[in-house]
Amino acid sequence: MPVWVDPEKCNGCYNSRQPPCVRMCPGDLIVKDYTVNKAYLKYPEDCWDCLPCIKACPEEAIEFHLSYQLGSKGAKLIPHIHKTRDFITWEAIDNQGKEEHFKIQTKVLQIALDEQVEDGAEGLDFSI
Amino acid sequence: MIERQVIHTDILIIGGGTAGCMAAVEAREKFPQYKVAILEKAHIDRSGCLAGGMNAINAYLNKGETPESFVRYVRSDSCGLIREDLVKSMSELFEYCVKKVESWGLPILCDDKGDYVPRGRWNIKINGESLKPILSRAARSSGAKVYNWLVVTNLLTQGNRVTGAVGFSLRNGKFYVVHAKAILIATGGAAGLYRPNNTGDASHKTWYSPYNTGAGYAMGIRAGAEMTSYEMRYVAIRTKDAIAPTGTIALGAGAPQVNSKGDRFMVTRYKEIGGDGAPTPYRAHGPIQEIKEGRGPVYLDTRGITPEKVTDLKRAYLDMYPSQVLYWLANDIDPGTEPVEIQTTEPYIVGGHCQAGYWVDEGRRTTLKGLYAAGDVAGGAPFKFVSGCWAEGVLAARTMGQDLTALGEVLASEEVIAREEARAFNAFKNHEKGNRGIPPVDMEARLQKIMEQYAGGASTYYEMNDAMLEIARKKLSSLPGETQDLVADDLHQLMKAHEVIDRLDVAQVLVEHMAYRKETRWPTYHSRTDYPERDDVNWLKFVNSVRDPKSGKIEMMTRPYEQIVPGDRYKP
Repeated sequence: MPVWVDPEKCNGCYNSRQPPCVRMCPGDLIVKDYTVNKAYLKYPEDCWDCLPCIKACPEEAIEFHLSYQLGSKGAKLIPHIHKTRDFITWEAIDNQGKEEHFKIQTKVLQIALDEQVEDGAEGLDFSI
Repeated sequence: MIERQVIHTDILIIGGGTAGCMAAVEAREKFPQYKVAILEKAHIDRSGCLAGGMNAINAYLNKGETPESFVRYVRSDSCGLIREDLVKSMSELFEYCVKKVESWGLPILCDDKGDYVPRGRWNIKINGESLKPILSRAARSSGAKVYNWLVVTNLLTQGNRVTGAVGFSLRNGKFYVVHAKAILIATGGAAGLYRPNNTGDASHKTWYSPYNTGAGYAMGIRAGAEMTSYEMRYVAIRTKDAIAPTGTIALGAGAPQVNSKGDRFMVTRYKEIGGDGAPTPYRAHGPIQEIKEGRGPVYLDTRGITPEKVTDLKRAYLDMYPSQVLYWLANDIDPGTEPVEIQTTEPYIVGGHCQAGYWVDEGRRTTLKGLYAAGDVAGGAPFKFVSGCWAEGVLAARTMGQDLTALGEVLASEEVIAREEARAFNAFKNHEKGNRGIPPVDMEARLQKIMEQYAGGASTYYEMNDAMLEIARKKLSSLPGETQDLVADDLHQLMKAHEVIDRLDVAQVLVEHMAYRKETRWPTYHSRTDYPERDDVNWLKFVNSVRDPKSGKIEMMTRPYEQIVPGDRYKP
């Protein structure tokens, strides 16, 4: 599973009908389960590993693991967006648990916690 | 009863990506009296190819370069055949577009004089993690109306005139009918025609956006628009498994391509055409021949680069393609001590890196009245990358604004709209009726199997001949009739159903193009084992096609090549 929402950390962005992770996925792969108020990756086989979902999550609740087909499970890559939004500090953990940090200058735009869908549509998840 | 939403606008942009966003801003700035609407199937803030960000602009005229020097380079890199007018006109707008996006907040690496730092003849470095949200923010604040989660299923046409588009909302299931005077297709290229490198939950670990499924190509094909150069497919050379771009390593660390014996095969085998700097098709062809002939695997030789350089590489990848860094972590690879393995991807149909797409004039008008094309969906002009798509968006916007008064509004008939509504929701209706039918993923597997095995997939080293293409043609021909049995149990699956229908339309045209050109001009992109040499006497021209909207028959034709910039077409 390339991208994984940690249910311990995810709070469904409260009452949001279109949380940032759901909105930012270019493939419409992340879905909010309203029965438990948490988001999850519904179509892992269609995940592109592009990561805007991870960067948009205000709780840093989404983890990036490479598909097991391509590499071992221990390694992780976690972006921490600086509050000035001018930097991302990437936390890189290898298979042995060794950590390295990379501070990358960039410009990360703020993503709102919720967004009204056109024409008053509720943003309901039709697949549940 | 499906709820319908009707929209009237002046300029309709289908696809809120690289070209689409820029076109919207340019249209609103230059023609503020006109309404602009963007229809985007995901959310415009991260949709399309720029979802993960970008770390360079790869088409820019650095100091000393001109539109003419750019045309000469792109012409030789594309093995002597391009629409020189299209490439020249787009290069004239690189600076305009880049400066504009910089003013919107894109960080670009400058020296202490404030000039962009060149990283190669045509490349400048950017910190583009948020390039897409920067573009989308500009599009939204331009006054263009953005409709997210809107899957466009077809164009509305009346004879040779395009009058609008239809689609459905992924969020509320409504049927949208958009009437417009001028329509810009900016939906990008087509991935997913061939089997990808990986399976299971890594299936969509592809180079190109797997969500660019050729919708714009297919709509135009169905409407009878003329298409060009589908046979110049794009096969990318990328890092193994992570499928990250190699330019970062090749240029950034100066690492050459080597085979398993350490032989710099591009230099030893392709010296006359430029070695490591050979035209782009050869940079995929060379490695594939090494593997085919048993001298693989193939690598970029990074051994011996300093730890500082390794950190630089990781930082560059984190800005654009973090998977690469995670791949090294998850496989215990230190690129300083072992070479980075590279591979070729499955073929894509794109008008950005290559020139597959709509046949357009210099204003980016297609052969259908009221229809324009920009970006990867437009043909004839390779080497676009990001800034070329911006330039085409600007050109199309200016042309649409100028043409608009003469175009006027034409309203599609209720009969046509009702037919399109039925077509849009057919797979969902099949589910509601309880039909067993064909899941989209199954039709996708069938399509990819045919293309992979008979139309030059990676498993046949991208090669093809008349016998194979005839089988591809025959096997594909039974699928269009079966698309009416696709079944979608929700709106997301309905989108997947349309994606496979669109890719099927593109695949049929692709096979015709590949069969028609009886030469090999772009090895690996289009390798004909039955016509293995380039043939300038008979084939220095464009292969184009038009599909009849009523009969579905694909008519092939050629268009002449026109040299505008003097010089040897095979020398940069």
